[in-house]
Amino acid sequence: MQCHKATAEVNGLCNMKKVADLCSVNGFSEAALDKKKHNKPDEVALSAMEEAYSTILRGLGENTERQGLKSTPGRAARAMQFFTKGYRETVQDVLNDAVFDEDHDEMVIVKDIEMFSLCEHHLVPFFGKVHIGYLPNQKIVGLSKLARVVEIYSRRLQVQERLTKQIAIAIVEALKPAGVAVIVEAEHMCMVMRGVQKKNSRTITSAMLGVFREDPKTREEFLSLIKS
Amino acid sequence: MERTKANLSDNLTGTPQTANRHLEERLATTKYPARTGSSQGVCENGIPLSTVPDSWKEERTRSLEDNEMSLPSLAAAYTTILRGLGEDPERQGLLKTPWRAATAMQYFTKGYQEKITDVLNDAIFDEDHDEMVIVKDIDMFSMCEHHLVPFIGKVHIGYLPNKRVLGLSKLARIVEIYSRRLQVQERLTKQIAVAITEALKPAGVGVVIEATYLSHVYGYAWSSEDEQQDSDQHNAWSVP
Repeated sequence: MQCHKATAEVNGLCNMKKVADLCSVNGFSEAALDKKKHNKPDEVALSAMEEAYSTILRGLGENTERQGLKSTPGRAARAMQFFTKGYRETVQDVLNDAVFDEDHDEMVIVKDIEMFSLCEHHLVPFFGKVHIGYLPNQKIVGLSKLARVVEIYSRRLQVQERLTKQIAIAIVEALKPAGVAVIVEAEHMCMVMRGVQKKNSRTITSAMLGVFREDPKTREEFLSLIKS
Repeated sequence: MERTKANLSDNLTGTPQTANRHLEERLATTKYPARTGSSQGVCENGIPLSTVPDSWKEERTRSLEDNEMSLPSLAAAYTTILRGLGEDPERQGLLKTPWRAATAMQYFTKGYQEKITDVLNDAIFDEDHDEMVIVKDIDMFSMCEHHLVPFIGKVHIGYLPNKRVLGLSKLARIVEIYSRRLQVQERLTKQIAVAITEALKPAGVGVVIEATYLSHVYGYAWSSEDEQQDSDQHNAWSVP
């Protein structure tokens, strides 16, 4: 399936590509394009997932007949579909109407955007904040649309590095700005609740494209503005 | 604390057991059927009881061998879930995810493998201390049994000893055993309180849990028609 190929490419994307190379129609950020056909969650898939959750509950030694767990497979399956609803959305739907022509060439920053995602390795949540900055080149975007872009990509099975990059490239493809900077700061429950169990640790990833990558002063301005 | 001493002398009529008479009566009348039994008990109103096991006497429902045996079927179930979500289980990032997720879920429910008696038996000491003992800010990580989504928070425990005190870290271990299960916050609070009561027979126990539900934080709860639980405090007090 083409979407599988696109997601496979997502994993192998090289970090050194410049902004211009990444502006393609069926690029990095449009890995969900084929999924647009399946806007309504598949009923067959839902019942298969419910069966799977029943198996999991029994495998954990629980009694699936007890009152608290009777509807849990259905609830858990629907919850999981909700947490991965980003697969069924594309950036085109969200951004197309809200790109405006504006002669503004100073940095625009939206910071402290809450982000909730699922770790694809353990299927356990990770959540935190996203800070986005871009230097417009004749085109600006409605500010809430930046938060919606974050939603689309975070509501998937994700890896924080890939999430950061996908957000950055989506903005590049939509606006063709002079540069984009995205910083994601998150706590990973897979590290807090299990494994090494470090409660206060946070993971920070960043994607700097265009002017933010090439000019240290621009990057520094962005970093100091999000700290204040 | 003068107030506490006065309460104690009002209620004690000689033997330590009678100080908990009020609680013992309540424990005796509340019947909790066995977790793994298929019959559901009913209380006086005819409403079925949830299967909350009798904490002190419960058996472990899972062993390490059980974990190993059930891992392949758990992993297969997770593969089905990944496919159901529209993902490709063959891609590099997801190749071992079913196994990792299954092991993680077994870890999040490892409370089923442990018994309170194993943890507590050696750490109860006779001590002539009758002032309040509080351990607060115990981190708690549990799994909501309704949505299988984590809820995390803090537990604060206080008790008034009656000639017997407990090693302090054991309070945190009790929290671990009960929270690492598929839980409902109300039941978790009660199980912790009842376990301490049965172990120590203190003059009183107080347990407060404040938790955040990631199903709420993720915005899921507002879109579902299921029963909501707010991230508020659930208290369990048992005092004479």
